[in-house]
Amino acid sequence: MLSANVSMSVPEIKVIDISEIYKYVGDEIAALVLFQVNGEVKQGGFLLLYVAKSSVIRLTNAMLGLTETNRELDEMDESALLEVGNIMVSAFLDGTAELLNIIMLPSPPQLVIDMPHAAIESIIASQDSVDIDEVVLFKTELLSDAHNIQSSIFLFPNHPMLEDIIRRLEELLNPPT
Amino acid sequence: MSLMPTGNDTVIIGIGEYQVGSMPMASIGLGSCVGLVIHDRKMGIGALVHIMLPSSQGKTDRLGKYADTAIDVLIKELTRNGSSPTNLIAKIAGGSAMFKTFSGNLNIGERNVEVIRKLLKDQSIPIKGEDVGGCVGRTIFYYPKENGKLVIKKGDGTLGEI
Repeated sequence: MLSANVSMSVPEIKVIDISEIYKYVGDEIAALVLFQVNGEVKQGGFLLLYVAKSSVIRLTNAMLGLTETNRELDEMDESALLEVGNIMVSAFLDGTAELLNIIMLPSPPQLVIDMPHAAIESIIASQDSVDIDEVVLFKTELLSDAHNIQSSIFLFPNHPMLEDIIRRLEELLNPPT
Repeated sequence: MSLMPTGNDTVIIGIGEYQVGSMPMASIGLGSCVGLVIHDRKMGIGALVHIMLPSSQGKTDRLGKYADTAIDVLIKELTRNGSSPTNLIAKIAGGSAMFKTFSGNLNIGERNVEVIRKLLKDQSIPIKGEDVGGCVGRTIFYYPKENGKLVIKKGDGTLGEI
C-alpha cells in the first residue's frame, strides 16, 4: 500500500510507574489509533498505533497518492490512518501469536489526534484502576525509510493478559522437558 | 518532548503526585485526570495535584491519586506551610472524555470534576477558574508567584489562561 518496506523492531518492554508515564509519552500532538484487545480472557488491554504528527501527512499522502504536505487533515486522512492502524496492529498481533502462541483480537479502531499522554491516562483511568499503580509498556518502532515515517506500537496489557504473556515467555525460555 | 516555557526549575507533577511550594509546576497531558491547584492568594504559594480517580476507597498509599485524599493532603500541607484556609482559592483543569466507544468507565473525567467541586465546597474553598470537560487533552503550567496564574495548552492547539 505504501509501495515501501516497513520494518518492525523487537519490542522494548518496560514497567512504568503511573507517575512517570509522561517521560515516555508526552503531549506532542500525534495521531493515535486505538484498539481494545481481547484475548482468551475478555478485555486484555489496549493496543495503540502512534504516528508522530510530522509523519502523518507523509504517510497519508503516500497512501492517497497526494503530494501537498502543507494541508489540513481531512476525512480521507482519517480513514487512511484507521486502515494503517488495522494493518500494522494485525501484523503485530500475528507476530505475537507466532512467538507466544497467544491469540489477541483487536476491537474496531478509534482515532484520536491529540496528546498521547492524555489518551493513555484516560484509558488507564477508565479501567478499574484503583489498584493500578504501574503499567507495562511494550513498544515496537515502525520504520519506513522511503517515506521517513516515525511510528510506534504500544501494548498495554491488563493484569490477566500480562500474566498470560509472562507465563508463555517463561515457557519459551525454559521449555518443559 | 514538551513545551517548557519556564526552564528547568519547573516541577513536573505526574499522575497521582502533588507538590507544595512557590516554584512553577506543570502537569503534562491531562485527559480524564484533573489538575487541581489550591493557591494561597496572600503568601504566593500553592499546590498542584494530578488526580486520577474520584475516591480512594480507603487506600492511603498514593494520596494525590484520588480526589478525596488529594484535597485533604493539600490543605494540610498548605496549612503546615503557614497558609490560612480563608486565603485559599482553587483552579481546576482537565476531566475530558477522549473516547466514546471503548468499554470501561468512560465518563470518569466528568465524575472527577463533580467530586472535586463538591469536596472543595465542603471545605469552603472557592473555585476561581476552571477549564474542564470536552474531548481534548491539556498541559497545564501553574505559577504560584504570579498570582497563581494557570496557563493551559490544549490538544487542539489553543493556549489559554485562568
